[in-house]
Amino acid sequence: MNFSFSEDQVLLRNSVRAALDEQCAPAHVRAMADDTRGYSEALWSEMAKLGWLGLPFAEEQGGAGLGLVELALVLEEMGRAAYPGPYFASVVLGGLGIQLGGSAAQQERWLPAIASGQARASAALLEDALDWDPASTTATATATKAGDGWRLSGLKRFVPWAHVADVVLVPARAPEGVSLFLVDPRAAGVTLTPMIGIDLSNRWSEMRLDGVAVPADALMGRAGDAGGLLDALLRRAAVGASAEMLGAARRCLDMSVGYVKVREQFGQLIGSFQAIRHRCAEMLMEVENCHSAVYYAAWALTAGAGDAAAAASICKSYVSEAARKVCGDAIQVHGGIGFTWEYDLHLYFKRAKALEPLYGDAAHHREQIVRGQVLHSDK
Amino acid sequence: MDLNYTAEDVAFRKQVRSWLEQNMPRQIRDLDERKAWHRRLYEAGYLGMGWPKEYGGQGARPMEQAIVADEMARAGAPAPTNSLGVGIVGPTIVVHGTDAQKRRYLRKILTAEEMWCQLYSEPNAGSDLAALRTAAEDRGDHFLVNGQKIWTSGGAVADWGLLLARTDPAVPKHKGISCFLMNMRQPGVDVRPLKQITGSSEFCEVFMTNARVEKENMIGRLGEGWGIAQTTLGYERGGRALARITTYASQYRTLMDAARRLKRNGRPILDDAVTRQKLGRIWADLEVERYGALRTLTMLERGEHPGAGGSLTKLSYSEFEKRFLELAEEILGPYGQLTDGVPPEFRLEVDTAVGDHGTWAYAFLWSRAGTIYAGSSEIQKNVIGERILGLPKESRADRVGGIR
Repeated sequence: MNFSFSEDQVLLRNSVRAALDEQCAPAHVRAMADDTRGYSEALWSEMAKLGWLGLPFAEEQGGAGLGLVELALVLEEMGRAAYPGPYFASVVLGGLGIQLGGSAAQQERWLPAIASGQARASAALLEDALDWDPASTTATATATKAGDGWRLSGLKRFVPWAHVADVVLVPARAPEGVSLFLVDPRAAGVTLTPMIGIDLSNRWSEMRLDGVAVPADALMGRAGDAGGLLDALLRRAAVGASAEMLGAARRCLDMSVGYVKVREQFGQLIGSFQAIRHRCAEMLMEVENCHSAVYYAAWALTAGAGDAAAAASICKSYVSEAARKVCGDAIQVHGGIGFTWEYDLHLYFKRAKALEPLYGDAAHHREQIVRGQVLHSDK
Repeated sequence: MDLNYTAEDVAFRKQVRSWLEQNMPRQIRDLDERKAWHRRLYEAGYLGMGWPKEYGGQGARPMEQAIVADEMARAGAPAPTNSLGVGIVGPTIVVHGTDAQKRRYLRKILTAEEMWCQLYSEPNAGSDLAALRTAAEDRGDHFLVNGQKIWTSGGAVADWGLLLARTDPAVPKHKGISCFLMNMRQPGVDVRPLKQITGSSEFCEVFMTNARVEKENMIGRLGEGWGIAQTTLGYERGGRALARITTYASQYRTLMDAARRLKRNGRPILDDAVTRQKLGRIWADLEVERYGALRTLTMLERGEHPGAGGSLTKLSYSEFEKRFLELAEEILGPYGQLTDGVPPEFRLEVDTAVGDHGTWAYAFLWSRAGTIYAGSSEIQKNVIGERILGLPKESRADRVGGIR
């Protein structure tokens, strides 16, 4: 039993942090908020060179063959830097989805391209009803047979970075049941409309599909068989998003601690007041608990532990709420300056907030936890 | 990072489990039976495990200690006794005691032949322990002790006490304290049980009137008592880390069973969406505590000391315990408040050092103690703020000048 990072893992984290500190400073995050595409191609190529884009893929697919613990380490740093760009969408949602459920040919087609940075991927997991239950994901989107291939119709919402994606995983209901398709978001019949949220480092699109023709080999796995795959992908996305929230929360804590050590009121440093100190202590406790939840779940999913599904739900439900509290408390201990646009705190506060309802909010995952326990005890 | 237990640890766990199955008493009725159980655990090598071998321990790894405690919690085994002796007094003597003190006291601590208590807190020295006023006056061949202690766990059955007393009122308060081993069985020591909100008396008040402590029973040198008390000693560190969580988990399952029986609007409470949200949240909190325990054990196994990190752990689990038992009370309604006449399906198996209370009511009331004893949550937050986050100290009037 060893709940600590290996030397290699520490090196990875340090190198990611150093690279992002240099190339993804707050000024970069702000500049990208005004950029049409929303992210830097130069930094993307750099990330490909450093091996981050293929981190969890097999070596023969251009990846580094690492697990979810390493991926979570990178994602924590992405959250800490509020990195603006399609890393999570491409590597976690698209990449892991294709790795989990793609055929050999689909993996061969996409994973090396994602790893090298030539292709960007995403997944359209939400519709208008915001239901995270994979069995009902396609409440409206449909897939009908058309010749050898399929025609997809429906409305997807909150599709991350779809405007720069080369392929999007789209669940749709075929006659056989929920199925997963690889869709080119630039194909005829696809309409993307930007959805702009408070998080400046993130881009979503509404994705309308009007009879979009996809070939037979766009289907992942068997028709009607996507439930298990979507479940597995959702768990990984939930833990990955939690890692980003953890990073954002840690950044907010660090900024708060730094600030209360220099800010004076009533002739004293405000960090000497118990009202402030106790709040900071609680923030640290929450951040450390989030760390435990994220890395336990990442390990459990990689190791195929018996409690992996529960651990993922525990992680997302805990971190969703704790990160919101820590980032909110950071604004509170800063006072007025924390509420200004000019000060950087809101970049991280909003990053955590944006991820809170995604890939299952706390309420969804709490229900999953209890449902699992009831099923288990009924056996 | 590998959160699987090693093959050795799995084998050791099996061995402990089967030993418990064969040796665990069904019921403990009095202190003598508990002492007998204590000695069986000791003879089997499952008690004082972290003590060095030369002093009668096993020199066991923290993980082995955690596994024994965890298996005992899993089996619902009765607790041993003399926990302050084994956990705090013995290790203090090992580190700071003279050879004569080690020979005289250590073995009898492990075998519970001599029971120990810790004489630290006073009515006006709780969180501010260094403000203690119990005086030990040098009378040549002995010290004369006068004062009052409170919150003395196990004081009613203790033969000896580890005492902090003021030997010099003229110097700053942290510097005028010395540490002693005091015989509790003498005329100048009056022990009165302190009745708690639970209705039981795990704690006592101890009044010392011209009590005598021999010179050879001072631990360390004159004026070094505060440092000795502050040293994070103890070989049983992390021992309860997993066991605590296993007990919560077993209580959680009992609570789930109750939630199946209890109804709201004609349906089991367990089907109620609001209740499920609360259960899901508390289970997530509980598991996060378990993950934290695994992190603590990892550090201990590597020979690292959590230091002030222990304050984070204690703050987190003691506050969790309150939230958990508040939820239990909410689900159980008035059943959760029963101290007598509890229907079997709403009972809780709880063993405490002084007897089996077996009620949710007791566990609920007891949960209020955890965020006060051994440094209240507020004190833990001060420690976290100052020692981990490096926040500036508040200006405190007591950091200069003598106690009077």
